[in-house]
Amino acid sequence: MTADQTRLRDIAEQIAAGLPPLLVAAERLASVISLGVHGRRKSGMGENFWQFRRFQAEDPSTAIDWRQSAKSQHLFVREREWEAAEAVFLWRDGSAGMRFKSDFAEVTKIDRASVLTLALGSLLTRGGERIALYGDGRAPSTGRAALNRIAHELIGTPSDETLPPDAPVSKNSTFVWFSDFLSPLGEIETTLRRLARAGLSGQLVHIIDPAEEDFPYQGRTRFESPAGRQSEIFGRVETMQGAYRARFRAHAETLRDLSRRLGWGYLAHRTDKRPEVALVALFEALGGAEAKMRIA
Amino acid sequence: MTFFGILTFAEPFILAGLIVLPAIWFLLRVTPPSPRRVVFPPLRLLLGLNATEETPSRTPWWLLLLRLLAAALIVLALAAPTIGEPPKPLGNGPLVLFVDNGWAAAHAWKDRESAIADLLSGAEHAGRAVAIVPTANAVGPVSVLDAGSAQRAAEQLAPVSWLPDRKQAASILAKTHFSSAPQIVWLSDGLDYGDASDIAGALSKIGTVKILADAPGHLPLALKPESNRADGFAVNVVRAETQGARHGSVSALGAHGENLSSAPFAFANGKDEATADIRLPLEVRNETARIVIDNEESAGATRLLDSNTKRRAVGLISASNTNDQPLLSDIYYLDKALAPYADVTKGSVNEALSRNASVLVLADIGRIAGADYTTISKFVADGGVLVRFAGARMTQNVDDLIPVKLRSGGRYLGGALAWQEPQHLAPFPDTSPFRGLTVPKEVTVSRQVLAEPSVDLGEHTWARLTDGTPLVTAAQKGKGWIVLFHVTGGPAWSNLPLSGLYVEMLHRVLDLASGARPSDMGTGASTMFPAYTVLDGFGHMMKPSADALPLRGSQLSKTKPSRLHPAGLYGNEGAQVALNVFGTKDTLDPMGNVGVRVEAYSGTSAFALQPLLLSLALALLLIDAVISLLLRGFGFDPRRLLARLSILALALLLIHPNSARADDAFDMKAALDTHLAYVITGVPDVDQMSAAGLKGLGAYLHARTSYDPKDPMGVNLDTDNLAFFPLLYWPMDPREKDLSPQALSKIAEYMRNGGTILIDTRDLTLGSTRGQDNPGEQTLKRLLGKVDMPPLQPVPPDHVLTKAFYLLQDFPGRWDGGKVWVEALPPPDPDAGPAPARGGDGVSPVIIGGNDWAAAWAIDNEGRGLVAVSPGGDRQREMAVRFGINVVMYALTGNYKTDQVHVPALLQRTGK
Repeated sequence: MTADQTRLRDIAEQIAAGLPPLLVAAERLASVISLGVHGRRKSGMGENFWQFRRFQAEDPSTAIDWRQSAKSQHLFVREREWEAAEAVFLWRDGSAGMRFKSDFAEVTKIDRASVLTLALGSLLTRGGERIALYGDGRAPSTGRAALNRIAHELIGTPSDETLPPDAPVSKNSTFVWFSDFLSPLGEIETTLRRLARAGLSGQLVHIIDPAEEDFPYQGRTRFESPAGRQSEIFGRVETMQGAYRARFRAHAETLRDLSRRLGWGYLAHRTDKRPEVALVALFEALGGAEAKMRIA
Repeated sequence: MTFFGILTFAEPFILAGLIVLPAIWFLLRVTPPSPRRVVFPPLRLLLGLNATEETPSRTPWWLLLLRLLAAALIVLALAAPTIGEPPKPLGNGPLVLFVDNGWAAAHAWKDRESAIADLLSGAEHAGRAVAIVPTANAVGPVSVLDAGSAQRAAEQLAPVSWLPDRKQAASILAKTHFSSAPQIVWLSDGLDYGDASDIAGALSKIGTVKILADAPGHLPLALKPESNRADGFAVNVVRAETQGARHGSVSALGAHGENLSSAPFAFANGKDEATADIRLPLEVRNETARIVIDNEESAGATRLLDSNTKRRAVGLISASNTNDQPLLSDIYYLDKALAPYADVTKGSVNEALSRNASVLVLADIGRIAGADYTTISKFVADGGVLVRFAGARMTQNVDDLIPVKLRSGGRYLGGALAWQEPQHLAPFPDTSPFRGLTVPKEVTVSRQVLAEPSVDLGEHTWARLTDGTPLVTAAQKGKGWIVLFHVTGGPAWSNLPLSGLYVEMLHRVLDLASGARPSDMGTGASTMFPAYTVLDGFGHMMKPSADALPLRGSQLSKTKPSRLHPAGLYGNEGAQVALNVFGTKDTLDPMGNVGVRVEAYSGTSAFALQPLLLSLALALLLIDAVISLLLRGFGFDPRRLLARLSILALALLLIHPNSARADDAFDMKAALDTHLAYVITGVPDVDQMSAAGLKGLGAYLHARTSYDPKDPMGVNLDTDNLAFFPLLYWPMDPREKDLSPQALSKIAEYMRNGGTILIDTRDLTLGSTRGQDNPGEQTLKRLLGKVDMPPLQPVPPDHVLTKAFYLLQDFPGRWDGGKVWVEALPPPDPDAGPAPARGGDGVSPVIIGGNDWAAAWAIDNEGRGLVAVSPGGDRQREMAVRFGINVVMYALTGNYKTDQVHVPALLQRTGK
């Protein structure tokens, strides 16, 4: 057995172990919300009746609505409303910092982000939307298969990129970006502008560990970056709490302003809060912009 | 090296290590406590920030002091300091240790050891030669050693279980050649064996003498021979001095050293003897292997007991139990003669045997009557000893429970018309168990029953008169013995009962009951007793050394323990004789004025400080570790801890009276019969229905099965014991309160231990639907969600529940339909072929269904159903009852029915 095969098998086992609960968690979340396909107010592929029109030569005979036709001399064809599904690109930050979990939270940020991504994906596919994991090189598609593929990507081969890479997207799609947004603000802005230029609009979901916001540390402490490359020792860190919190708030504010200027939404989610709350808020935000939705 | 006169360091150069203390101080001062490590993704946000107050990167001064103190203590400890003055050497010549190492020194042997150690260390410093003379085993010439070898020799020194022979030791010492006049230190045991002043004088001739002895109040104690009384042992404790009060306790120990009983003793001021009464019932008393004085480890404070000291239970039965003329009745003399060695029961045969008598004494009973005859025959065959005394009745009519055939009539000697004088006893033959007993001249026999002459009469005879007629005959019957005295138990026929010989003879006869062979008994002059186990000086049992010689039986009572015959048990497995250190007539005499001043053992003169200092340093380091953790932020809040502890304590207080209220009446009722039981839900109508339902079910069970349940019982899960009930019926109702944790654990334990709970969610009674959202099911989830439930499955068609009594396929109650769940069965064994019924191991701990069975079972006083069943019909009620019966049978018999349904197959197989 080659090393590659071993690695593949290990990954497969990992997926088998991690997939069902994550999917179930996401499905359970998604079952809270029900939604419909958005009508396009014109005739096309769809399920709802739109109008009857006269039969034309190019129409197939199977399209004739015989009941209507029997009422008069002419043949009529039933047209349905065109219901177009959205393409939604999901992207989850996989950097080392996302794997952080403080003592005050129950899950790592990356786990929470993955659950939210899949839950949103599940909701979207059940609503008939086409979804794709941004940057995995596949066209958006719908159905359970798409969801499974995303789950596979998220768990099996997680990318460790901090920012969304340059990847082809379809215009006028929605982009949902799950991250802790701890990269330098400049880099985030550049990326965001690039995505906006590509015709995407969407949502930033800021995943925050409670310790990152509250800074509940005391005493002499050595802070280390998750990758372990950088560290800094501070004495009596409780005295820094005010200054740090102000800085963190400012960081989040900047992010929010930036997204608003580009017409994107911003949503903060702490990992010690329930994920359902974030999911509902996310859906409101997406639905308000894009579609009619009913929050159950 | 000595400082301040009292503090001595064995390794003074290590104190130089104290120089490094300032260096440690400097290092500790500049090293900040190491920081706590935290992974923190938004490190970038922190980077620019400055903590408004940088921690003093120094250790606080008090912590510094703590650590320096710990370091200093370690250095000091390594220098091995001792407090106190080592003993000053007496002189410069050789040092002689004249050590009393008899048992009398064992109780305070530690004092001797430390005195010897002090003396030897002094001698080592001065480079003096040393000789050690142990007075109890001074055999060879004294060897003069250097201090190091003497140290090793001193380690070999141990007290022994006999008394020292100081004269021998002194004479050996006198023969030894020393380079100059030696200094003699006599480590005495403080006792005078009649020659203390002579020895002191003899030693003074050899060199200068110093005598050490135990301080007053610490002289040895010894145990005198115990007396075996009806209610236990009476033990006399003696001491060497008479001044001051002293108290302690003695204990009876079993064969494995277990303490059977203890009793206190107290010496009054001016007395040298005190008594302790150890109370022990007979059965336990015979288990006693030795008696010891507690906390007095010496051979003198230990008494070994042998089989002679065991007491027997003896039943004494006489033809006449009248006691109006005691001096003429046989019973009186027998009782007096047996009492020192046995517990005597007077009365009927059955009374005696019910008290586990091992010896039955029958005085003048000619013919043993019907039932008693059978009882006594069996008693003898099983190993009992039957001792019979002749009498007027025996001359006429005798049964066959006698060792030899008797001639009717008797024999008069020395009467007015007789030719012969009353006869004396002949010496006992060597085969007799009485051998070795001296026959007093004055014992005469004037009347006796005569044995029919026969070939084997000789071997049955244990005692004869001088003319050769048997006086005592015996025969083995089964495992037991029958012994016949051819005279009366009282003085009517002879004056034997008035002599001491009578007591001794009866004592020997009692020993038959311990299973000893007659030939082993008695102290025949030629019998040899090898040493079996011996005592060391501390009174501990050990294997005998090669020195220990066997004892000759004739010497046994005269032997004092010595090197050749150490105290201990002599004999073979099962039959041993104890040789004890201290006899009845022995005394302990303190050493008086011997012409040399006697000093007391001073205990430890020098006190080693090293262990103390090291443990102190360790404690400081532990405190330092805790403080360091606190400083590094591994904090715990003492207030929170306190609050938690107090909540816990309060909870325990609240729980305790609750759980302590054991309802005995309930338990008794529940335990005496097998009751059907239901859980009291606290909702009155539900509970009434449960009670009525189980009552109805009980009536059906009574009518149709062999199980007749008593009234159903309501069970309070919080307070009542569930262990008595095989089956609990538990209806669900949304009004039920949540269960307490105790109740939950009780339920879990009940299910684990084989109980079955029939849970009824009463789906259609409570709401219009079945299934998950049903109120009953939700109540079930709320109440029992935390309990460890086994995996469940709907009752499979081949489950034993469907076949326990009736054959059933559905389980209707008040309502029909729905599923009934039981513990999932293991998958069927594919190899076993089609099985008609399956059951797991044991009974399913839960049966869950929702058909409101109690309502269907419930009947009123006239036996009519209380509640209509739906969709209805007598058939449905009948099926509900059948289900109830099946459940009860299932709970009671488990998977028994699974086995039953295999019976045809088994029969078929065995038929082939």
